[in-house]
Amino acid sequence: MQLVLDYKKCRKAGQCSYLHPELFKADEASAPVVLVEHPEADLREAAEEAVDLCPNGAISLREEP
Amino acid sequence: MASTIAPDELSTREVISDPYPAYRQLRDRSPFNYEDLPAGSVPGIDGPIRAWALMKYADVYGALRDHDTFSSANNPLVGKAFPPLVLIFDDPPRHTRFRRLVNKAFTLRRIEALTPWITDVANELLDEAGAGEVDIVDRYTIPLPVKVIARLLGIPGEDYETFKRWSDAFLSLVSMDNTERMRSIQEMVQYFGKIAADRRAHGAEDLITALVEAEVEGEKLAEWEVLGFCMLLLIAGNETTTNLIGNVLNILATRPHLWRQLRSDHSLVEMVIEETLRYESPVQRIARTTTRDVELSDVAIPKGDVVIVYFGAANRDPSEFANPDEFRLDRDLRNHVAFGMGIHYCLGAPLARAEAKITLNAFLDRFSGITPGEASAVRQTMTPVVFGFQQLPLVLERG
Repeated sequence: MQLVLDYKKCRKAGQCSYLHPELFKADEASAPVVLVEHPEADLREAAEEAVDLCPNGAISLREEP
Repeated sequence: MASTIAPDELSTREVISDPYPAYRQLRDRSPFNYEDLPAGSVPGIDGPIRAWALMKYADVYGALRDHDTFSSANNPLVGKAFPPLVLIFDDPPRHTRFRRLVNKAFTLRRIEALTPWITDVANELLDEAGAGEVDIVDRYTIPLPVKVIARLLGIPGEDYETFKRWSDAFLSLVSMDNTERMRSIQEMVQYFGKIAADRRAHGAEDLITALVEAEVEGEKLAEWEVLGFCMLLLIAGNETTTNLIGNVLNILATRPHLWRQLRSDHSLVEMVIEETLRYESPVQRIARTTTRDVELSDVAIPKGDVVIVYFGAANRDPSEFANPDEFRLDRDLRNHVAFGMGIHYCLGAPLARAEAKITLNAFLDRFSGITPGEASAVRQTMTPVVFGFQQLPLVLERG
């Protein structure tokens, strides 16, 4: 699975880096950066929660071939 | 040129009903210290409330992102006589725990699942309102959000007039006497106390049950935390959306070209809503308290002072939005701060947007035109915190 951030939808609300600092980090301009692009099983639940909590629907988890 | 507005006039009824001329005059001077509320406005505090006004986009954005320096807790504007609202008056780590707990109820996915039901409520209200001249605040913009949040909480939607009265009492900073205000708030606290006790005994499929059953780090929420949650959700869940929907309908009623444009292209609905959020922000301001001496725009603000962060002014700052006083659909609206920014970003943003979108789609399906009514539109003047209508007569034309 790949954790993907759609910067066109991102409004820098800051919920992802706040609640899941293990997966996201805010850069100097407050835009989030994905820290773990391919979350392993131990981070899968956190990644799914992060997808859900973005108020702007900018985070997704993609199946990889 | 309009008359000069002094900083101490920011919380007067005249400015509350139209704060934008004040922002235009005062933004460049901000941050400045002013008297936000006269003596006797806040129960338990005798003197006036002084604060620092932040009105520039950069200052507002910076303060919202720096939650360590600009604390939400220890807000002197909060009365001590009732349980404080959770989240909005909390800092981490308390805030973090509570936010995790309720986030799940307000995800985009959960809200999308509610869309068919919200659409039914919207259509019922519009059936009852009929056509011709209608006070849309009384018939629609108040009942819709109150009924929706009541259903999420699991309390009867028919009691919406009572919920609205409680919520008004809580928000009122300017126009209700304190005895009356405290009586209404006590009623609300007792009501939620009874419902919470009932849900502990017999669970239901609702948020209040989820709150009384929830465990945060192995511990159940305290009674005052459950009540603080209920009040937050009821109050934040209705006034703000009432104002957003009233503001967008007024914008459409007074701009026939925009209504026609929207009729021919429904895909613009979301842009119209976002630009309304920027142009007439339903929540105009939020209070913070500094935890250290801090400098903003070369002004020194001492530790422990109240800071009022003006979303409404930031959203019209020409350094961020070109020609900010024009309502336009060709902006990049990702940067407006109508829902705040950072850790306190509005929990209910997906719900507010959904209710506004459902409303505009229902109006477009049902009416060929909406225009201002004969009776006058009246802005609320109860509190500088929100911007919206107390009365908004519109002529609804079927077509």
